[in-house]
Amino acid sequence: MGIHSDDQKAKMKEMQDNLQADTHPLKRYRHIGERGGRRLDGYKKAGGDADYTMDVQLPGMLFMRFLDAPYPHAKIVRMDTRRAEQLPGVRFILRYDNPELPEKASMGKLPGLYGDQPPLPGIAHFEGEPVGAAVAADTESIAEEALSLIEVEWEQRPFNLDVIRAREEDAPLSYPEMYPAGNYWNNGLFNELVQGDVKKGFAASDRVIEFEFFRRGHTWIGPERPCGVFRWNGDCPELWVKQQRPHLVKKNLSTWYGGVPMNKIQLHCLYQGASFGGWVQVSWNMGPLYCAGFVARKTGRPVKYVFTRREDFYGESMDNGRYRYKVGFKKDGTILAVEGVSTIVNQQWPMFNVMNHFRENTKIPHLYGRSESVWVNKGPAVPTRCEQLPTTLSMTMVFSRVAAECGLDPVEVALKNDGYEGHDMVRLEEEKRQRGFPATDSLKECVDRGRAAFGWDDRWHPPGTRRLSNGRMHGVAFTWTNEWDDSLGTGEIAIRIERNDGTASILAMGCDNGVDAENTYCRIAADELGMRLQDVHYNPQTDPGFFRMSPDSSTNASVNGWAVRHAARILKQQILQAAVSPTAQTQRGEYRPAFEDCTPEDLDIEESVIFRKSDPSVRKSLADFVMEAGQSGPISSTENAGFRWAFTEPFFAFGYHVQLGSYNPENPRPHLTRQAHFLEVEVDSETGEIFITKAVNVNDVGKAMNPMSCEGQQYGGTIMGLSRGKFEEMIYDSVTGVMLNGNLLDYKIATIKDVEAPIGTILVESGMGYGPYGSVGIGEDIGTVMTGILGPAVHNAIGVWIDDHPITPDKVLKALGKA
Amino acid sequence: MKPFRHFNAQSVDQAASLMAGYGGRACIIAGGTDLLGRMKDRILPSYPEALVNLKTIAGLDAIRAEDGVLRIGALATLASVAAHPEVLSNYRALAEAAGRTASPQLRNMGTIGGNICQDIRCWYYRGPLNRFSCLRKGGGRCYALKGDNRYHSIFGGSVEKGCVAVHPSDTAPALIALGASVVTSKRTVEAEQLFSVRLSGTTILEGDEIITEIRIPEPSAGTSSSFMKFALRKSIDFPIVNCAVALTREEDRVARARICLNAVHVVPRRVTGAEEVIQGRTMTEDVAGEAAEVAVSDAKPLEHNAYMVQVARALVKRAILACGG
Repeated sequence: MGIHSDDQKAKMKEMQDNLQADTHPLKRYRHIGERGGRRLDGYKKAGGDADYTMDVQLPGMLFMRFLDAPYPHAKIVRMDTRRAEQLPGVRFILRYDNPELPEKASMGKLPGLYGDQPPLPGIAHFEGEPVGAAVAADTESIAEEALSLIEVEWEQRPFNLDVIRAREEDAPLSYPEMYPAGNYWNNGLFNELVQGDVKKGFAASDRVIEFEFFRRGHTWIGPERPCGVFRWNGDCPELWVKQQRPHLVKKNLSTWYGGVPMNKIQLHCLYQGASFGGWVQVSWNMGPLYCAGFVARKTGRPVKYVFTRREDFYGESMDNGRYRYKVGFKKDGTILAVEGVSTIVNQQWPMFNVMNHFRENTKIPHLYGRSESVWVNKGPAVPTRCEQLPTTLSMTMVFSRVAAECGLDPVEVALKNDGYEGHDMVRLEEEKRQRGFPATDSLKECVDRGRAAFGWDDRWHPPGTRRLSNGRMHGVAFTWTNEWDDSLGTGEIAIRIERNDGTASILAMGCDNGVDAENTYCRIAADELGMRLQDVHYNPQTDPGFFRMSPDSSTNASVNGWAVRHAARILKQQILQAAVSPTAQTQRGEYRPAFEDCTPEDLDIEESVIFRKSDPSVRKSLADFVMEAGQSGPISSTENAGFRWAFTEPFFAFGYHVQLGSYNPENPRPHLTRQAHFLEVEVDSETGEIFITKAVNVNDVGKAMNPMSCEGQQYGGTIMGLSRGKFEEMIYDSVTGVMLNGNLLDYKIATIKDVEAPIGTILVESGMGYGPYGSVGIGEDIGTVMTGILGPAVHNAIGVWIDDHPITPDKVLKALGKA
Repeated sequence: MKPFRHFNAQSVDQAASLMAGYGGRACIIAGGTDLLGRMKDRILPSYPEALVNLKTIAGLDAIRAEDGVLRIGALATLASVAAHPEVLSNYRALAEAAGRTASPQLRNMGTIGGNICQDIRCWYYRGPLNRFSCLRKGGGRCYALKGDNRYHSIFGGSVEKGCVAVHPSDTAPALIALGASVVTSKRTVEAEQLFSVRLSGTTILEGDEIITEIRIPEPSAGTSSSFMKFALRKSIDFPIVNCAVALTREEDRVARARICLNAVHVVPRRVTGAEEVIQGRTMTEDVAGEAAEVAVSDAKPLEHNAYMVQVARALVKRAILACGG
C-alpha cells in the first residue's frame, strides 16, 4: 500500500475546486461545531509570551532605517551622505545609486507598481516613501540621527492628490516613468462588466435615478509595525518577517542576489501583530527586506528594520475615490438596470469590479460596471481588509437608495431582487439541487432571523420621521450580500502521529493572523481521526514548507480545511490498516497484529482509542498502539530478557487542496449563502454626532466549524466596519501633498467604547458552502459589508443623504443646513 | 530619540535653577505624555539638551481642601483629580474634564499641571521632522490657514494674527469657570490669565518658571458646575470643542456665572457675553439658547470648520442646562 490509497486520492481530487456540495461529510460531529475550547495561542498572546518579529534580537545585529521622501513627487538630484557616514556607530549606508543594486528586482506577484521595482528608488512618488538611502547602525537612534545628517537636493515635481483632477487631460503625470501616457490606467483585465443592456433596462423602468458619492481611503496598519530581520549563514539566508504571505517572500528572495535556491532559504514567520492585507501586497514591503539582505551580506552582521508608525501609514485601501450610479427600477422595488462607475486612486486590481456583487447576488438583468484606476501621488492602494469594499459599498448604497425612493422597506427590496447573474431564485434553487446542496432560501432565513432579533418591523420607518425623547433622530439601515471565500490558492497540510503518546501534530506553514484558524484545523483533524481535541495540536512550521492559504488571501478554512481533512482521512486509513497488519516485519520474523483476525473496516477510532466495532471491549489506545521510538523503543533490557516490543510503522500523511476561486467573470459557481446586517443609530442634530445603538449580524456560514471564532469575526467586523464608516480617512495637505494624520491619534480608529451598542450575532447553517462540511468563509465579510451601512442609517434618521464617507459630524451638520 | 541629559529634581528651587542654567535648552518633564511625543517626532527645529524631572519632588501631587480652598498639586495625575471625593462633590466640572481627558493610561500618567501647559495639537505644527516650519515655530506662514483647518480656531488667530491652532486642554476651561488660580515658582496668576500664544508655547510662564499648585476657591452655596466635551471618539481624543460652566443661583435666579469654551480659539475663551445674558435670569432652555447664540456671535470660521460654531453653540447651551434648573 502506498502512503495514499487510491480511494482517498480519488476523493481528494473529486473535491478540488469546490464546485459541488461536500459529498463525503462526516456522519456525526464531535468537536466540529462545538462551542468553547481554548484558543491555541490564547495564553501566549494574553500573557505576553508570544514572540513577534519586532521582538527578534540577534547577536551583533544592526538596525536599519530608511530616508523618507519629504515631497509627494520628487527626484534625488544629489545626495551627500558623508556626514552621516562619520557618525559613530554607523556601519553602512546603502545609497540608491549603489552600482551593485539592480535596477529592478522581483517585489511581488503582480505587474505594474507592485511587481518588479527598484529595491531602493531614487524617485519618490508619494510623500513618506522610503527612498534614496538606508542606514544601518549599532542602534536605532544612531540610524535615525544619521538620516538627519544626509543632505539631499531634490527636484520637486508637480503632483496629484485628487482623483478627479488627476483624471483630467492636463493633469501632471503622477508616475511618469511607469505610466507616461497618463494617469488613467486600464490594464485590460476585467475592469468592465457587462450583463444585458442597461439602456433597455432604463427604458423599461418606472423610475431612473442618478447619484454619486465619495469614499475616503483608510489605512491597513496593525499593532505590530512592518519589520524584518535578515541574516546570512554562509550562503544561506535566514529571515524573520512580518508577513501574511511568507511563501511569496521566499519566492521573491530566490531571485535576488544572483539567485538563491529555495532549499537554502530559512524563513521564520512568527506571531503577527495583526495585518489586514494591504502591506503584504505592496512592492516596497519587499524593498526594505532586499536592502536588509544586501547590507547584512556587506557587513557580515544580521540587520533588522522596523518601520516607524508614520511610515506604516503610507498606503491605503482600494476604495478611495468617486462612485457614480444610474439605477432603473419599478415602483415595487424590482431593479431592472444598474450602471456603476468607480474612479479609485491607485487601484491595482481592477478586476474587482464595482458591479461584481450585483452580478453574483441579484436577478437584475442589466448591469454595466466600470472600475477606473487613477494614479495619484499617495501611497499605494491595494486590497486592505478586503478588496470587495467598492462592490459591497455599492450594493448597500444602490439598494438603500431604491428602497428610499420607492418608500419601501429595504428588506423587502432585497428579497425581491435576490438571485444570481440575472437569474431569479427558481434558477438558483435548481443550481443548488444540481450541485448537491439543500435548496434553502438563504437570504430569507437570514432576514427572518435578523429581523426578529433586531426588532426591525418596529424600528424601521420612513426617512427623517422619528425623533426620540432624548432629542436625537432615530435611524435604521439594512444591507446584505453573499458570503465569500473566493480567491484562488492551495493548501498543503501534513499530519503525523507522535511516538510515545499517540497525539497528532498538524504540520503546516505558520502564518498567524489572529483569527484562530488553526483551532478549526485541529477540530477537523480530531473528528476525522476519532481523536480527542486535546490530542491534536497545530505545530506551525516557521520555515514555510507545506504552504497553505493564509488569511489575507480571502480564503482560509475552505481550502486548508479540505487539506486537513484529506490528510486526516488518509492517516486514519493508514492507522486502521496497520492495526490489522503484522505490527512489524523484520528478517527475524513477523510480529502479531494489534487486532487479529479482522479487517480495517471492522475497526474504528473514538476518543483516541482504536476498537473493534462489533466488540468495543477489544480496544487499544493510539498511544499504546504507536509505541515508542528509537532507543527508547525496543530497549536492550527487554531484549536481553528474550522479549521484544512490537514496533509500528510511522504514521504520517499529507493532504492538499486547490481552489481556483470565483473572481473570474465566467464564475463557475454561483454564490449560494447570504449575509444580512441591521444597524440602528441615533443622530444628535445639534452636534452631528452619531450614536450606534444596536447592530445585528446574520451570516449563513453553511457550517460553523468553530462558532465562537465566527462570532469573533462578527463582533470585530462590526466595530471595524463602523469605524471606517464613522471615522477613518487618510488626510493629506492639498498644498504640499504631505499626510497630516499619519498617527494613531489624528487617524481615528474606533475603540470598543465608540461602538458601545449590543452586537447581535446569528449564525445560519444552511450547508450551502463549497467548503468542507458545507462551510463558507466569514473572515472578511462583516468588516467589509458594515462599512457602508452607516450612510443609509443616517439617511433614515435625518432624511438627507450624505455623499461623502466617512460620515462625520461636520457632514451631518452640513446636510442639516447647520454648518 | 536623540540623547539628552536627565535630572531628577529634588525640589522646585533645584528644578528652576537647572532650567535657568540651561537657558531655554532644557524642558520640564512631569507625566511626559505630551513632551515625549514631541521629542520622538522631532517636531521642533531645536531639541532639548536636558529634561528636568519633577516627579521626584515630594508632595507635589497632593490634593486637599484647606481653609475654603481646594489645593491641587501640579503633579496630581488626571486620574487622581477625576476620582478625588472632594473634586467629585464640589467641583463637578473639573472632575468631568479630568475624567474625559485622553485615555485611562494617559490619565494615569498625565498631570494636571501638564494638561494646562501642554503644547498645541495642530497637525502642521506636529508634523514629524519639523516638516512644516510654521509661524508658531518662527517660520514664515500658517499652513492651516489655506490647508486643512477642520480642527482649528473659529475665533481668529494670533502670533501676528496668523496661527490658528487651538489650545487643546480639557481641564483649562473647567479651572477658568471655577475661578481657579495657578501658583508658580514665581507668582500666582488667575487661571484665565495663564494662557498666551507664543513660539512653541501656550502660557505666559517663563522658561524657568514651574507650576506648583492650583487653587480653587470653595464654591459658594447654590453653585453647580458642568463640563461638556465634543470629540470624534469617546475614548481618547482631544476636544474639538469643550465647554465648562460654573453657575451660582440665589433663589431661582442666576446670581453669577462663568462660562469657558476651549479648543475653539488659540487660548481658552471665556464667553462673558453669554454670562451676562443669563445673569439675573431664571434659567430656561430659551435663556440658555440665547446665551449660546451670544457665545458664538463673533465666530469667524475658516474654510473647513464652520461646524465647530454649531457644536460650540450646542455645548454652551447644554453645559448651562446641565448645571440644573
